[in-house]
Amino acid sequence: MRTFLLLTFLSLLTISWTRLEAQESIIPQDSTDFGDFLVLQDQVPGLSFRWQIKDKSLPESLLLDSLFLFAKTDSGYISQPMEHFAQLHEMSSRFGLDSLNVGLSYRVYSEEVSWQGAREYLANLVRNGDYQPIYEVKDVSEDLVVLAKKTPYSPFLKFKILFISDYKLFIVTAVIIFFFVVSIVMIIFMIILKVKKSKREQHKKEYENLIIDPLTSLLFEKELDEISVMKASDFHAYFPAELLQKVLFKEVLIQKIIGLNKKMKGEFKGKLKTIYQKLDLDKMSIQSLKSGKWYKITQGLVEINEMDLVEALTEVKGHANSDNFHVRSQAVATLLNLSEKVDLNFLKDQTFPLSEWQQMNYLRIIKFVSNVKPLKLEVLFESSNQSIRVFGIKLVRMLGRLDLLVNLANISEEVGLEEQIEILETYETLGAHMEVGFINRCLSSENEELAFAAAKAAFSLGDENSVKLIYSRLAKDQLSFKLKKQLLKTLHALDISKFDQATIGASDPISGQIRAHILDPLLSHV
Amino acid sequence: MYSFLFYFLLEVFGLMFLILSFAVISIYILLMILSALEMRDYLRKNRFADYGDIITSPIAPGVSILAPAFNEGMTIVQNAQSLLSLHYGKFEVIIINDGSKDDTLEKLIESFELEKTNFAYFPEIETKPVRGIYRSKNMSFRRLVVIDKENGGKADALNTGINVANMEILACIDVDCILSSDSISRMVRPFMEETNRSVIAVGGVIGIANNCDVQDGTVTQYRVPETMLGKYQVIEYFRAFLMGRMAWSRINGLMLISGAFGFFKTDLVRKVGGYFPKTVGEDMELVVRMRRYMEEAKIPYKLGFVPDPLCWTEVPENAAILSRQRNRWMRGTIETLQLHQAMRLNPKYGILGMISYPFWAIFEKSAPILETAGLLYTLILLVTGDFSAIYFFALLALMYLLSLLVSAFSVLYEQVAFNNYKDKKDLRKLIWMIIIEPFTVHPKIVWWGLKGHIDFIKGKGGWGSMIRTGFKKAEDKKNIQTQATTS
Repeated sequence: MRTFLLLTFLSLLTISWTRLEAQESIIPQDSTDFGDFLVLQDQVPGLSFRWQIKDKSLPESLLLDSLFLFAKTDSGYISQPMEHFAQLHEMSSRFGLDSLNVGLSYRVYSEEVSWQGAREYLANLVRNGDYQPIYEVKDVSEDLVVLAKKTPYSPFLKFKILFISDYKLFIVTAVIIFFFVVSIVMIIFMIILKVKKSKREQHKKEYENLIIDPLTSLLFEKELDEISVMKASDFHAYFPAELLQKVLFKEVLIQKIIGLNKKMKGEFKGKLKTIYQKLDLDKMSIQSLKSGKWYKITQGLVEINEMDLVEALTEVKGHANSDNFHVRSQAVATLLNLSEKVDLNFLKDQTFPLSEWQQMNYLRIIKFVSNVKPLKLEVLFESSNQSIRVFGIKLVRMLGRLDLLVNLANISEEVGLEEQIEILETYETLGAHMEVGFINRCLSSENEELAFAAAKAAFSLGDENSVKLIYSRLAKDQLSFKLKKQLLKTLHALDISKFDQATIGASDPISGQIRAHILDPLLSHV
Repeated sequence: MYSFLFYFLLEVFGLMFLILSFAVISIYILLMILSALEMRDYLRKNRFADYGDIITSPIAPGVSILAPAFNEGMTIVQNAQSLLSLHYGKFEVIIINDGSKDDTLEKLIESFELEKTNFAYFPEIETKPVRGIYRSKNMSFRRLVVIDKENGGKADALNTGINVANMEILACIDVDCILSSDSISRMVRPFMEETNRSVIAVGGVIGIANNCDVQDGTVTQYRVPETMLGKYQVIEYFRAFLMGRMAWSRINGLMLISGAFGFFKTDLVRKVGGYFPKTVGEDMELVVRMRRYMEEAKIPYKLGFVPDPLCWTEVPENAAILSRQRNRWMRGTIETLQLHQAMRLNPKYGILGMISYPFWAIFEKSAPILETAGLLYTLILLVTGDFSAIYFFALLALMYLLSLLVSAFSVLYEQVAFNNYKDKKDLRKLIWMIIIEPFTVHPKIVWWGLKGHIDFIKGKGGWGSMIRTGFKKAEDKKNIQTQATTS
């Protein structure tokens, strides 16, 4: 280790010494060049010069020159000490005209030295790094190697310049930074999310354990009347007051109560609702309706619906035409479920098209409430929303409302295609024989979907006119396979002889295939 | 001059690879964010969905399940029983025996008391001849329809099923897939929910059943497959379904619904002419054509995606089989993009033309080519002495880290949303696979993709010129005779 350190030190020393020696060597070795070199430097710390004239007399102009301030000596004259070597050439030009015996005397501080002594002094300064020599800018025609040698070391490329000038490096760096920043943000976000979720789940489990026993005790040990007269403070014996302040605890409590409410019947439902209200959980549910987040509003609506919080119906109504599909679906479901007299006007006034999913949910509720509450379905036929009108017709069919067939008959000629198809299907399902006239009119329709629905309805409701219409249509028109099959099925059901006439010996093979299909006993069963 | 051109090209390619790297990173990060948002919304919406009604509701649409079978004699009866026992009110199961050479049809006839009928249907879509349509005399199997036809491939078999189908929605599945009992209810929901736009198709997630326990048609115990290729596919499926398709679904940019488990609107499928049997990527091609039709007709529409694990399948763990599958997928992608090249960067096709198509063209179709080109570029730099270690290793590290990030997030999504792989050993195996995948399996996948390109260029599968020309309109497929000219 010691050897290694020593070698490192020596190598470093060698490197630095070599570099300085290279600089020192550029000081000229002859007196003339050395003089020029000093002119280039102008000033060297501690080095000065004096002019020496070895003549007995001096021209008066030189004697009076304030630049030199010559003083008389035994051997001639000597100027004052001067430090600006740059003036050497100018000064010597003044002497040249008078052909004087002029010499230069170097001084290191106050000590007079030869030009070699001055050079040695300057070399020492350079070697020690105390003085950075100035280099002469020479013609490029000189040897490049010499020039290179004389050029002091400095890095050819500086990093800052490289970074900006090399666009590839710049892009790579930008991409890396972008990637790392986004990745780190995402990872941190996911970690926070996961930790929060885990904590929440943990708390939920703890709260569930704290809720189950007291809730069971309340339900099985107390009567409904007893619970009804309990004050908020009385519940603290069951659910600690500090926990009831926590939102998550209340949420878990709501979930538990709703879960039990779905499973229980009779008095227990009443008890659960009373507990719900006594603990002000109903206020929390109603408060959710004011949230800006759709899923919180929907959750609030679910809670109101499940706990039959009739007092919140006004707020619920405000969401019946919400922009959000889930909010308005749940609001309508809640209104249908909780309204004392099911007034379907709010549904009639809906501006958004009704999806099949919504229809399915509303149908379930309407089916349930129609047994216990009066239901004025006919208002739906007056809706300006086509999907609501269609749903109204479907409801007549699915609820078996024979009393509304007259209403359907009244609107059947004016409504659009989709509604007419629904009406035909309703007639078929409810066995509306008296409406065969409408069915027959639709049988002649140019619209294939309508004619198909009419043919299906005529299967069980058709008469002689239907047979005539179908037979003539089969003979004349170019029909699609689907319609032809249905017309032949209906014809087979209404009049077998006409069916045989239409199919036996028919020129097109399709009629024969359909005949075989209709007569196949296995297919008629499935 | 040549030297200048050479170095100029090196510069251009260098810049191109840099831009590509930046695009890859940006797009995948964007996909991760979009899929996370979509998953969050889906889980929130699911809290309020009650699937109880859908089974019995008269409003719920009918579903025709189409399951083509070719030489499935060993498992066909069990598979058909599993399909018949799905929990849904209005559905029929149509099994299409695509000219099997084994006893598939005999086993079905025997097990389900089938008889040949005179079932009349209109062959709206051209297919290979049908030999017979069978129904059961036993009312317990009244939902079952078995079609026996000459062999014509999966797409042709599905087209025959489409001609016979009687319900509003088609569920096109692989007959050996394991479906969850509530799979139809869940997949039908998006069709029923939409109000302002028509939902034309809904895709589902395919889970990997290798090494898992299956009971009563449902996976009861999840386990990661034992082989490296199996494990790789678990991660790949997470990435594809939970990340890719969820993200594309959010911006309505889905271009692919898996052929093993996809639901479609029957009338629209018929309108566009059904599956195109002359491409090996018939599932993707149909989705693109349906979308194209809606765009050309200017009808508002949407494609749905259900991330719930509802369908499981066995994936190939053998390199030879997997390579053929990947080769086929690549050719399918190329063919579909070729057939619908009129949509490329065409604003008339909205997101489909401007975003989905270019993404598939660059990051799916061209990915193996670009990766190989990147490797060649590096080698050239090494030869010319222009190789810069700093760029090379920075980009390599970046791409590797991106791969780790994307794969890790897709596993994380699965854990947050479904948490099927509960065993920590399985998770450790998956994480290890994520770390080694870029060096072990990925090069093979790139190679198989390249072979797909080579095979496409060689014209494997026929119909090369037609596919290269492409469809001028979505409805063009209906005017093409696909059987007579090639049988």
